Amino acid sequence: MTAGAALGTGAATRHTARWVAIGVLVVAAGLIAVLATRPPASVTEVQSPLVGKPAPPVRGVTLTGAGYELPREPGIYVVVNFFASWCEPCQQEGPELVRFQYEHSRSGDASMVGVVFDDTVGAARVYQSTLGASWPTLADTGGALALSFGVRAPPSTFVIAPDGRVVAYIVAPVTAADLDRIIAEAEASHA
Amino acid sequence: MTRRTFPLWTALGAVLVVALVIGSGVLSSSPPTAAQRAYAIESVVRCPSCEDLSVAVSSAPTALTVRATVRQLIAEGRTDRQVEDYLVARYGSSIVLDPPASGWSLVVWLLPLFGGAAALVVLGVVLVRRRGAVATDAPGPADLGAASPDPVVLEERRRFLTQSLADADAEYLAGDLSDQDYLALRQRDMVRLAALDAGAAGVPAPTDPSAGEVGAQAASDSTADATDPDRGRAPSEGNRSPDGSRTGAPASSTPGRPTRGHRSWWFLGGAVAAFGAALIVAVTLFASHRLPGQTSTGSISLSQGQQVEQTLNQAATLENQGQLGQAAQLYQSVLNSHPDNEVALAQLGWLEYQTGRQGASASLIGDARAKLNRAVQLDPGDYAVRLYLGTVLLQQDGDAAGAVDQFRQFLADNPPATAVQQAAGELRAAYQKAGLQVPPQVGRG
Repeated sequence: MTAGAALGTGAATRHTARWVAIGVLVVAAGLIAVLATRPPASVTEVQSPLVGKPAPPVRGVTLTGAGYELPREPGIYVVVNFFASWCEPCQQEGPELVRFQYEHSRSGDASMVGVVFDDTVGAARVYQSTLGASWPTLADTGGALALSFGVRAPPSTFVIAPDGRVVAYIVAPVTAADLDRIIAEAEASHA
Repeated sequence: MTRRTFPLWTALGAVLVVALVIGSGVLSSSPPTAAQRAYAIESVVRCPSCEDLSVAVSSAPTALTVRATVRQLIAEGRTDRQVEDYLVARYGSSIVLDPPASGWSLVVWLLPLFGGAAALVVLGVVLVRRRGAVATDAPGPADLGAASPDPVVLEERRRFLTQSLADADAEYLAGDLSDQDYLALRQRDMVRLAALDAGAAGVPAPTDPSAGEVGAQAASDSTADATDPDRGRAPSEGNRSPDGSRTGAPASSTPGRPTRGHRSWWFLGGAVAAFGAALIVAVTLFASHRLPGQTSTGSISLSQGQQVEQTLNQAATLENQGQLGQAAQLYQSVLNSHPDNEVALAQLGWLEYQTGRQGASASLIGDARAKLNRAVQLDPGDYAVRLYLGTVLLQQDGDAAGAVDQFRQFLADNPPATAVQQAAGELRAAYQKAGLQVPPQVGRG
């Protein structure tokens, strides 16, 4: 290069590769920075277009064949849990949901609604009775309710505030403590 | 691009433009039907529970639900955009296979545009520079003596040759040029420089043989090959020998008039254009039935019958593996689209009966019965349904006579020996309870 410069040849053009390399490095560094600062994909609460908006209507036929409709403004926190009997994470969270329901049935400040996702009514019924779940569970044959909530896979859990807004969407097994924390946070932000 | 290759490039450009116009589908005139619109939307919407599959090609229950919803929304009179928005409002923008043109995803759309624009700019700059270089490079000693050139032009040519020499030096030092090429280039430019100086002084051009050749060639090429970017820069390329002299075509060919070589290029260009036109006509004739949203390269998709068969096979495999829940879902998915599929009715009915019996659920057993009865109506000759119905009658109702009636038809339908063996216990129980003799093929146990 020095010889080229000494000869007075287009030294500027010879730096093209250097500038291109620097450009590529800057872009790559930027990309790494963006990817590194994004929240990890494994967080349980995920973004949903529904969060902060009024929940879609929750109505249908329960596993026992009765009609059910959640009021638009339920007045208490309602946990809507999409599950399937074949889904292992659902089996993992099942006892936690039973615990949550038990704890809040006394205070009456929160309740549970189950929705069968991708499962037969029979299998879901057997699963629910084995678990000891006593909350209303909608059969959702055809998956219309799952679509209205944008559910992709079980378990998916939504927390609906007393005013009918969706305050959280969780796509991993939840614990009673998780749900209590989410409700406490929603209460705090609402107050 | 040279004058010789111009027709070729023009023909190729024309083919490209017409192919793009046809491929983009802007020529399709008839408005799409509701089914075509639904398919177009379904092929850009991701199956909610799958990885990178559109709902159009997925048979997952969630995909079936989305498909039904898309068709329902279209029937309600919503536009394609509104249908997509409906799904995005529930699942988020990732439900659409194409990334959204907003936020960070915008980069995915803009990057190719910027890249393409940058490539065009670079190409343009390079072409303009080389054309400029060739134009300056073009005049050789042959035309220098003809008229007294403008001193400014002469000075420019001298500067170009000096620059060319310096470039050769630099490239040689950088190891980009071989010894032979460097010497050839250097000799050529020195000779040209000398010729330039001689011309400026009104002296005839030097009689160096290679210099004369180079000059003549430069003169002839200055019109015929005016835009050749590499002329004179790479002595070992083309039909030029390392010493810069032309070894192939005669240097005396008259510039401007089409030579035999030029004519053949025109013929080639014409042939490519004709082939392109024929190709376009063929593509237009045979590819005009492409549905909106369908890829231009086509895709492997199974017919509806094949899809149902595949789903039933998958369900049977799952059932054999003991994954009854998943098998039941698949049977249900078949029934959602084909409510009268006898195999799905029979198998789901049987699964529901087993689940209902296990969970002591009368309503589920009732559902199972209805499915089995419908299945036997649809295909009275299916031995499996007869076996299922017989078993339900025996176990649930204690109706041995009814069960035997079904089992007789089961045996009459030539069931495989393994099926008879598996059901032997139930068969014997039914026959014995009804006070009848057990058929010989059932065996005595």
